[in-house]
Amino acid sequence: MKLSVWGLPLLIAVSLGGCQSLGLGGSPPAAPAPQVSAAPYPVDRFVGAWGVASYRLDKDRARTEAAARAQCKLPYVIKRGPTDGIIMHVADDATPHELGLKKGDDGKVYLGFAGPPGDAQDRVIDFVSDREFIARYVDPDTNSRYGTMVYVRCGRA
Amino acid sequence: MKAMWALLAALCLIPAVARADEASPKVISLDDGDQLGRVSDEATEIDDGPYKRQVVFYRTNYAPGTIVISTQERFLYLVLGNNRALRYGIGVGRQGFQWSGMVTITRKTAWPDWTPPPEMIARQPYLPRFMAGGPGNPLGARALYLGATVYRIHGTNAPETIGTAVSSGCFRLVNGDVVDLFDRTPIGTKVVIRQAPEL
Repeated sequence: MKLSVWGLPLLIAVSLGGCQSLGLGGSPPAAPAPQVSAAPYPVDRFVGAWGVASYRLDKDRARTEAAARAQCKLPYVIKRGPTDGIIMHVADDATPHELGLKKGDDGKVYLGFAGPPGDAQDRVIDFVSDREFIARYVDPDTNSRYGTMVYVRCGRA
Repeated sequence: MKAMWALLAALCLIPAVARADEASPKVISLDDGDQLGRVSDEATEIDDGPYKRQVVFYRTNYAPGTIVISTQERFLYLVLGNNRALRYGIGVGRQGFQWSGMVTITRKTAWPDWTPPPEMIARQPYLPRFMAGGPGNPLGARALYLGATVYRIHGTNAPETIGTAVSSGCFRLVNGDVVDLFDRTPIGTKVVIRQAPEL
């Protein structure tokens, strides 16, 4: 059976819950686990080649989208990972990682490592369409350095 | 092949009056020693030491308003007249990326956009391929374009690089200084870039 990295936290949570129900530990009841819901769209939406650009001020969004489109000569390629995630980089790390989508209690969709949605290393997805998505880093410092990232799908008019 | 491309591009873009030093400067839109590591606003200044902006004694035949860049000294002088100049600390091109010549300011931009060079993308693949101007942008708060070259006098989000030779041929000032210079310098200003120390 192929076990997804995104199913592993659930399995661990079930196991821990089982121990508690057997009364093996004397500790108080654990805080409720963060709510992680399925994202409203599949990770396949992000797979492909993208032109990437960033902006900080909303007035720059339109021209940044145009700039991203022009960067398809040097595209950022996102592939599907071995365990149902997608292979992408996180900030300041040249090693690609498998990331997944997480929907938080706040209704926002996050892209990041397995774990609670909204982690400092996560990106929050602000906009998704067939040909574009917009994301920004949750961590304020990282966000201030990178700005809001625009990904425009290459190879489509 | 990459070096050949850079050489050809440099030969096309450097005006005849500018003389490249050693290997021709790499022609890119930014210094590839830069990083997205900092946020620096328009108020960033150097508070002390030789790279603090200051009026100095400066004997020259150039007219007031002329900019003289001394690569060796890591200073940019704005000639004031009466043997005085306003001196700014700068970062310059690293070995093999220094040049000299005489150009004019052809364009001025506040919070310029930044396009990382391909070799920087190769090292830092998580970078956006284009970044609209802003405080995290390595080009800093202002840019003054030098003639028809790809080089600029610009700000920086890494103030500690002032006084060093890390760039690919551009000249960088802390943001507070580049804003000050920007406001004092009209388009058409003559810029003299010197590489060797004066006797």
